[in-house]
Amino acid sequence: MSAARTAGDVMLKVDDISLAFGGVKALTDISFDVREHEVRAIIGPNGAGKSSMLNVINGVYHPQKGTITFRGVQRSGMNPHRAATQGIARTFQNIALFKGMSVLDNIMTGRNLKMKATFLEQALWIGRARNEELANRAKVEEVIDFLEIQHIRRTPVGRLPYGLQKRVELARALAAEPTLLLLDEPMAGMNVEEKQDMCRFILDVNEQYGTTIVLIEHDMGVVMDISDRVVVLDYGRKIGDGVPDDVRRSQAVIDAYLGIAH
Amino acid sequence: MDDSPGTFPGLMFAHARLRPSHPATREKDLGIWQTWSWREVAAEVRAIACGLAALGFKRGMHLAIIGDNRPRLYWSMTAAQCLGGVPVPMYQDAPAAEFVYVLNDAEIAFAIVEDQEQVDKVLEARPQVPTLAHIVYDNPRGLRNYEGVLDYDRLTESGREYDAAHPGFFDGELAHIDPSDVAVMLYTSGTTGKPKGVRQSHAAFIAAARGSAEFDRLTPDDSIMSYLPMAWVGDHLFSYAQWVVAGFTINCPESGDTVMTDLREIGPTYYFAPPRVFENLLTQLTIRMEDASAAKRWLYRRCLAIARRCGAEILDGRAVSLYDRAAYAAGNALIYAPLRNVLGMSRVRVAYTAGAAIGPDLFRFYRSIGINLKQFYGSTETCAYVCLQPDSGVKLDTVGLPAPAVEVRIAADGEVIVRGPMLLKEYYRRPDATAESIDADGFFHTGDAGYFDADGQLKIIDRAKDVGKLNDGSLYAPNYIENKLKFFSHIKEAVAFGQGRDYVCAFINIDMGSVGDWAERRNLAYSGYADLAGKPEVLKLVHECVDAVNAELAHDPALAGSQVRRFLVLHKELDPDDDELTRTRKVRRGFIAEKYAVLIDAMYGGERVQHIETEVKFEDGRRGIVSADLRIDDAKPLAPSAARAAA
Amino acid sequence: MQFFFEVLIGGLLSGVMYSLVALGFVLIYKASGVFNFAQGTMVFFAALTFVGLQEQGLSFWMAIPATLLVMVLLGLVIERGVLRPLVNQPQISLFMATIGLSFLLEGIAQIVWGSSARGLDIGIQDEPIQWISDRLGLNVSKFDLSAAAIAAILVAVLAQFFSRTRIGRALRAVADDHQAALAVGIPLKQIWAIVWAVAGAVALVAGLLWGARNGVQFALTFVALKALPVLMLGGLESVPGAIVGGLVIGASEKLAEVYLGPFVGGGIEGWFPYVLALVVLLFRPEGLFGEKIIRRV
Repeated sequence: MSAARTAGDVMLKVDDISLAFGGVKALTDISFDVREHEVRAIIGPNGAGKSSMLNVINGVYHPQKGTITFRGVQRSGMNPHRAATQGIARTFQNIALFKGMSVLDNIMTGRNLKMKATFLEQALWIGRARNEELANRAKVEEVIDFLEIQHIRRTPVGRLPYGLQKRVELARALAAEPTLLLLDEPMAGMNVEEKQDMCRFILDVNEQYGTTIVLIEHDMGVVMDISDRVVVLDYGRKIGDGVPDDVRRSQAVIDAYLGIAH
Repeated sequence: MDDSPGTFPGLMFAHARLRPSHPATREKDLGIWQTWSWREVAAEVRAIACGLAALGFKRGMHLAIIGDNRPRLYWSMTAAQCLGGVPVPMYQDAPAAEFVYVLNDAEIAFAIVEDQEQVDKVLEARPQVPTLAHIVYDNPRGLRNYEGVLDYDRLTESGREYDAAHPGFFDGELAHIDPSDVAVMLYTSGTTGKPKGVRQSHAAFIAAARGSAEFDRLTPDDSIMSYLPMAWVGDHLFSYAQWVVAGFTINCPESGDTVMTDLREIGPTYYFAPPRVFENLLTQLTIRMEDASAAKRWLYRRCLAIARRCGAEILDGRAVSLYDRAAYAAGNALIYAPLRNVLGMSRVRVAYTAGAAIGPDLFRFYRSIGINLKQFYGSTETCAYVCLQPDSGVKLDTVGLPAPAVEVRIAADGEVIVRGPMLLKEYYRRPDATAESIDADGFFHTGDAGYFDADGQLKIIDRAKDVGKLNDGSLYAPNYIENKLKFFSHIKEAVAFGQGRDYVCAFINIDMGSVGDWAERRNLAYSGYADLAGKPEVLKLVHECVDAVNAELAHDPALAGSQVRRFLVLHKELDPDDDELTRTRKVRRGFIAEKYAVLIDAMYGGERVQHIETEVKFEDGRRGIVSADLRIDDAKPLAPSAARAAA
Repeated sequence: MQFFFEVLIGGLLSGVMYSLVALGFVLIYKASGVFNFAQGTMVFFAALTFVGLQEQGLSFWMAIPATLLVMVLLGLVIERGVLRPLVNQPQISLFMATIGLSFLLEGIAQIVWGSSARGLDIGIQDEPIQWISDRLGLNVSKFDLSAAAIAAILVAVLAQFFSRTRIGRALRAVADDHQAALAVGIPLKQIWAIVWAVAGAVALVAGLLWGARNGVQFALTFVALKALPVLMLGGLESVPGAIVGGLVIGASEKLAEVYLGPFVGGGIEGWFPYVLALVVLLFRPEGLFGEKIIRRV
């Protein structure tokens, strides 16, 4: 199936990024690119700087050095809100859902940026507010159907098992119709069956909507099957970059995973 | 009704003329209920039929239909019938390997399937099925880049073009269909041996559907939820044959997991479920009530006690004291009506269960809260139409009176034999099996052992071939014992052994939901099924159930000798994927006896503990080994007590 | 029996007025985790502004939108000037800030509008409804009933707003989990501003009703004290809790006053609600409707 995917031009270019917290270096001179429509994985052992990298792309952290070019525009003064308006959506390692709200409402918050009605219109339920609500609900229903979570539509998220919460979070990110989807350890803490479901959904999203996906995992096995290209980080440095088969054979990568002393 | 059409396409186009805008089919899609009227359905059927014809589908051919209950799949059945073809609905949850047998046996060239999952399975089976030429799918999701499969929308589009280019073709085809033509081929679940294709004519299924629809006074204003496997004869009778005959509305749920919510939204008037579904509902309800506040629990218990006392009598219209009537009315307002609403049965006028024995407590519970739950009896070979319980004669342990136009007799050896318009035409390509099951007088041998009670209602005890004798000559009916065991919510499956032995032994599968919940309440930690099943506390729990069953058996003089002496709790759940159960979840006794011979020998050999290793198949197709040391427990048989035999 | 019902209905209706005040507390607490000590003062401020504007010659119907505007602006100013600089500070700092705020508002209101007590007429008389007395023989105050109706409408509108609109959903999201809300790009500050504005509007309605009943005077700030047992009873996070809590407090204090009062010397209306709330706290520390605090081992 992956043969059917056609990777396009470079969508995101990360150039020479370095990030430090106080004196601690989280990322050192990282460069790589993400092409349109591809599934790009960032892997590495725990503490390799994967999440930091995602947070840099997402605008949560501001690197001390280096540039990020998104769709041909070099970015400056990034923050998560602006990233969202540019079409970057993400999920979180520790699920960031609203536990007391229903699945439907959670996913609807993913449409927040798509809704334009003013406070007054909404307060009085006039003008654009009503139609907008319905149109967005229809879009959200598509996502619900896509991820097969119809049966929990009205269930408060807090009552769902972990695997389903992960799926709901993916749904919320998808509801924003992102061009770039960042997934932070989408399969962490799942059993084999849930992992397989998640893989299928990630591939389906990529195929059906053409969404470019950057995902982080520390479990190499799963990632290799679904990624087009893989970046390997270790101690904040890039130690590998390429198609899964090459990365798997790379001595540096094997050493990193086996814990060879540096 | 004599001039009414004698074929399913004829009936459908009659509805399109008589009640064109009446809702025929509903489906919840993207969170909204979509409705198609009879006129729209008829037009769609015509388009499917012409589309199939354009691809080369001809009279007498078989059309495989695989998927969850989807409107388009139901319509495709009629479309195939319009062309004189035969729809062959298949169990949608079977793996690809099981598809191969049926696809080859039925020489399938055309298949209409639901979605990517089914397409993948059919494509996997395809290399072994040389006849398979065309695969049409309903839901295009994920199938964009597939080669050699056709989208439903493209099929109907080409159908409309074909129809326009060949005026008169469709009507010509319709004119060719005869009531005696085969209308559908349903495969038996294959409790023994390979599945057999049961060929039923239009006349047979229409007779069954018309008989039962008139029996329960079904009208076009009724509606039903269609959620059981389309390959099952029950669904074919209730969601297809009766639908087209009576002209009511079928409702397709959004997905298998949403049935409960969808039921509440639709509020069907006519409901059908196997006992297992009723049991799950009650289990869920009980678990939820145990979490409720003390006041609610008290009220619930009080009201159910009232319902137990007089609910069923009130439903039957029997005399009940004024006080009980008033108490029941109060209970109805406080508990029963909200309960029916939660169950999605507020509007249910007639509810049926069949397919397996239903527990007396379970049966009485539903009737006592005002749901007119009844039982019927039938099989694939009889269009699921042999006996029905009338509204005023519902009993716990019978399956009702012979249905209109059906002759039921008990053969000399105790087997139930039936004759009537609803009998199968033949088993496909199995003249031997056909000859074996239909005798010279035209009676079909059901394979069930039973007798008529004093009121003329049929009571089924067991499969005729399963009823056997212990070494001391006492009667032994394994299913009867197993069902008694399974009536406990903690026990999911049971397998009894005893034929040619000195006494009865049993394997038990605990119910993960019910026992898991029980364990949680006692702070009993467990890691999975095998762990939970091996707990001494659980063994004790099961022991109590076995004792209770023995006590019941002891009251029946004929069966007192077949009390369970020894039992064990299996380390794995019996699973259709491991061939231990059929797709309809019937126990395959012979297979299990062979597979677990070690355990049986240990039970009869007097062992107290036995080690076992079993290979299991996971859902993703991988295999693994589960091993455990199983404890074998002794149950004390009770002395036969004739005193309460009458009870 | 008839007397009992009269007391009960009177109690329930005045309970609605307590709910109204409690609602202001709940809104702000839910969205920003701040216990707004100044809510009572905001009620007083709203009533005084309304009366003051009327004295300046504005008609009743002109004064309402004008006061609403003032209250919304006030809410926005408080959010920006007091709370935003204190983001990420301990809760107790925020609470202290609202205490200071309450003194500030009292001062400003009295400097601008003077400190003399005034009456407020919203055109509904506190008299029995003839229609009901004729048929049921019960005396139900027209004023109380209207107040309850106004409060009910307000709650219904708020409920709709919360459940059906984007901002409502965002409000609930923020109330549920600040960090998660930030993470999905919900503008936290904008939401807080809206919450304070809405709380200001609720304070206006409460101020008009309470002012009309008790007169506009400094003692109006004490209605907040009536809201406290309501909050204890209903839980700080629950809108339905505020409503039911108000009804329970209103009904029970009136009944207690009438039936228990004679035995303990009367005047128990003042402290009975607290006793009731304490008893509830004993059994359900999270209040009747509060989110259950789940402790996992």
